[in-house]
Parts: sequence; structure tokens; C-alpha cells
Amino acid sequence: MVNSGLDIELSFNQAMKGFGISPEIAHLLWLPLPMLLVLIAAVIGVLVTVWLERKVSAAAQQRIGPEYAGALGILQPMADGLKLLVKEDIIPARADSLLFTLGPILVLVPVILSWLIVPFGQNLLISNVGIGIFLWIALSSIQPIGLLMSGYASNNKYSLLGGLRAAAQSISYEIPLALSVLAIVLMTNSLSTVDIVQQQNGLGVISWNIWRQPVGFLIFWICALAECERLPFDLPEAEEELVAGYQTEYAGMKFALFYLGSYINLVLSALLVSVLYLGGWGFPIPVEWLASWLHQPIHSPIIEILTGSIGIIMTILKAYLLVFFAILLRWTTPRVRIDQLLDLGWKFLLPISLVNLLVTASLKLAFPLAFGG
Amino acid sequence: MKKNDNWINVNIRISEIQFDLMMGFFQKIIDYTKDAINAASYLTQGLAVTFDHMRRRPVTVQYPYEKLIPSERYRGRIHYEFDKCIACEVCVRVCPINLPVVDWVMNKETKKKELRNYSIDFGACIFCGNCVEYCPTNCLSMTEEYELAAFDRHSLNYDNVALGRLPTSVTTDPSVQPLRELAYLPKGKMDPHEVSPDDLRVGKLPAEVMDWMKTDALNNQSQQVNSNEVKDTHLD
Repeated sequence: MVNSGLDIELSFNQAMKGFGISPEIAHLLWLPLPMLLVLIAAVIGVLVTVWLERKVSAAAQQRIGPEYAGALGILQPMADGLKLLVKEDIIPARADSLLFTLGPILVLVPVILSWLIVPFGQNLLISNVGIGIFLWIALSSIQPIGLLMSGYASNNKYSLLGGLRAAAQSISYEIPLALSVLAIVLMTNSLSTVDIVQQQNGLGVISWNIWRQPVGFLIFWICALAECERLPFDLPEAEEELVAGYQTEYAGMKFALFYLGSYINLVLSALLVSVLYLGGWGFPIPVEWLASWLHQPIHSPIIEILTGSIGIIMTILKAYLLVFFAILLRWTTPRVRIDQLLDLGWKFLLPISLVNLLVTASLKLAFPLAFGG
Repeated sequence: MKKNDNWINVNIRISEIQFDLMMGFFQKIIDYTKDAINAASYLTQGLAVTFDHMRRRPVTVQYPYEKLIPSERYRGRIHYEFDKCIACEVCVRVCPINLPVVDWVMNKETKKKELRNYSIDFGACIFCGNCVEYCPTNCLSMTEEYELAAFDRHSLNYDNVALGRLPTSVTTDPSVQPLRELAYLPKGKMDPHEVSPDDLRVGKLPAEVMDWMKTDALNNQSQQVNSNEVKDTHLD
């Protein structure tokens, strides 16, 4: 595969070479930069999502929402975070303090780690690992362990029930999720997220996977909502029945980890939906066509910078449109019961995703041109 | 021959059963699909309703800065005029819990009640308005004050001095943006922020209602007179 587009790492290494630093040290210097960048991006993404959630919720209920913390209440999530940061850190007397502390960490770390594979452009991702999307599925299965751990360690009946529900939910929705991803992988012939996006960007908006995988898109979105424990699938933390589920005994920074984790997961899911089904960083019209219309060679610096920024903007725009849709869904749909949830997962989504996979496979054999033969 | 017939019958029956089973299976799938499509359409309808709310303005009244103007018949904190009171204690008798405390002594020389103090505990008052309704000298009246929060519930026990204070009107308070209630807005208006103070509210004003009632009563009277005359002529 020919690498086209911006390669910041290469230019960084060359710049370091210019300062007379050996390539090994330059590599070491380079390593923390994208990690830090992604961590910051994730946290800012969460802040924006929290603000968006509060404002959109307010609009859906004809309220105003946060208004005084910064312009339009933009600093409200910061204020929330700061409050949680200085709050007392309480561990219940009869709780298992080690597992109680480990739980939220185990929930948050895999979610942040999954940002490894989210591409914002041709070379704008931390690592183009070959197993890409599979890594995310594997990492997201660690989460229920953390949820169950924190629920069990809290020594509280609500926490335990919430933890069990979270585990049951995550496990049962992982399978249709993986199967719908598998259909995409079948079409791409690769697990790498970069390849998945590139495969969709031949003809702009027409070649996005959503047209070839409409059922898969719906299944993936439903499962992603369930994995994020968003309404209508928020029953692990259903406040009317379980106080706050596995979060009941948590306060201060440990609660903030859960809070952060759930929102990072939401943004991540939205990003992955846009990567898998909505053409990732792709502009509705292919950038190559735009470049030829502007009579610019595709590798000229202006076009490369333009491509890079369009890529980032498009990815974020698509992801936040999906987040907006998730918030609308939150105020539209009633919460399902645990039996309905498991019924939907096992009896509806699983068979349909299997059928979807089979249909994709047969379509790939029948029309190898359109379905990535 | 008979045996053969039986065989055919059995074969037909088996194929019928198979057919029924197949049809049942297909029917199940059809029902299932219908259910799923219905669910999706209901979800879309719900989403459309939620999305429609995006373009509606907030109905929020930003309380300490904006306040609704209480209606004319608002039953707020009670106002009391010490000089008008004759210490008859009617207010105490009509009160559901005999709340007003009327502190008076009999002046032996003038043989009249001498009022010393009067108090109502707004921590216990339910603002039913009976005392105001029955006060023979109209020394009790309702104000539009409703901000009665206090750090100590005993401070809600208003004496005659506190009862005699007039509240700051929402419309004259310079730090408050007064907003009209929904019933006081012009026809078709929902947001009090968009209404200018000169716009008349929907329906008749109290003065107009009064005029209408007067003319109506006059008309009725004349009609009655007329009908009486008609009756009289008939009797003749």
C-alpha cells in the first residue's frame, strides 16, 4: 500500500535528525506525543459531549441549560469535573478497598486504549495495528469485568445488581456487535481501521458502507448504545430501581472515572460508527476530485494540509452528529426491562446479524466488484 | 384396494401437516417482521416529536432576574392595617386553625377593646383567605408577596409591624424583569419575552367585563319588563 497524505511522524523524525539526534532517541521522543494528544483529545471530546448533552437535553425539554459557567455554559463540564476532583474519596467500611479502587480503573483504561485505532486521517492515528477493529472488540470485553468488580466490591445490593446487569448486557451485545463488524471486515478484507475507511472513499458518499450494510449499521448502533449503557439500555444504572447501579457507592474522583469512561465510550462508539459505516475521515466528495478541479497535484502541501484538516473535521462532525442522535434517542425512548434487553440481544439482533453476515458473504461472491471481492 | 386408499390418505395428511407447519413458520416470520417494522415506525415518530422540540424556545423564567407578575386574585402574604382593626376576632374564628393572635385588653374606663398586638404565623398559614374574606373592617388583605423563605421558622411569625409592610412589586423592582403569565399574554403568544408591555391580553379586561355585565343586566331588566307587559295585556 502506498502511503499518501501527511506523515507527521516522518517529518518529526527528520526534524530531530536535523538537530543531530539519533533516530532511536527521536522515536522515543515521538512516542509520548500522540498518546498525550489522544488523551487530551479524548478528554476535550468528553467535555464537549457533556456540554452538548446538557444543552440538547435542555432544548428537548424547552429549558435553557447551563448558562453562566463561561459563554453558553461551555465551562460547565469543567466545573463538574473540578467539583468531583476536590470531593472526598470515600471507600465504604465493609467494601473490598483494593477491588473497589481497581474497578473504575479497569473500566476506563480499555476505553482510552481503544482510541489507539481511531483514525482521523490517512496517518492521523496512533498506530495502524493490523488487527485494528478486533483490538477494540477485545478491549471492550475487559470493561464488564471492571463493572462487575466494582459492583461486587461495593458490598451493596444495588451495586451488585447493577454490576451483574452491566456484565450480562455487555456480554450479550458484544456478539451481534462483533458479527456486524465481521461483515464489514469481510467486505474490506482487512481488520485495520485505515483500510476500512479507504475502502469506503472511492466514490465519496455513495461508497460509504451504510448503503451496503444498512442492517449492520442499525445493529452496530443499537449494540454500541447498549455497550455504552445509554438510554434506552441504561438499566445497569437505572436510578428508579437501582439508585445508581454499580456507581452507587462511588464518590469523588472514582466516580469521575466512571463518568469519564462512559462519555469517552460514547464518543468512541460514535467515532467507530463513522469509521465503519460513514466513511470515517472521507468528505462526501472525494478529495482527489476536488484537487483535480482546483488543478492542484494531490501531493502539493496545500492540498495535503487541506486533506488533513478536512479529515479531522469530517470525522469529528460525523461522530458528533451521532452523539446528537444518541442524545435525542435518550429523550425519546423509554428504558427497556432486563428481560426485554436480553431478548432483543439474543433473539433478535443475534440472528439478524448472522443473516446479515451470510447475505454479505453471498453478495461478495455474487458481486465482487461492489462488495470487495 | 382399501389399503392403497389409506396410504394415499396418510400421504395427503402428512403433506397437509407439513404445509401447515411451513405456513406457521412463514406466518411467524411475517408477524415478526411486521412487529419490527411497527416498532421502528413508532420510534421514528417519537424521534420526530423530540426533534421538533429543538426549534421551540425555552419556557424558562430565570427566576431571581425575571419574575412572573402574580394575577389580580393572587393569594400571597397577608397585609394588615393595625388602625382599622376592631379586635373582633372574626379572623380567628373563620381560620381553619385559629391562627391569628389578637392581643387586646378591655379598657374599663372607655368600655372598649384596646388592641395591643396582632400576629399571624406564615409558617402555619395555608393562605386560604378566609380571614380576608370575613374581616368586617377590611383591615386584612392579600398581597402578591410569595418569597417567604427564612433561615428560622420563628421569623415567619409576623407581628403587626411586619404585617403592615407592603411588598416590593415585581413591576416596580428595578432589579427584576417582570414577565406576564400565560393567561395574560395576547392571543397566540406563548413566550412572555416577546411581548411588549402595551400589548393587551386576550379576552376582556375586568373593566370591560364589568361594563358588559351592567349592560347585560339592563337588557335583561327591560326584557323582563316587556314580557311582563305582554303578560298583562294577555290577562286583560
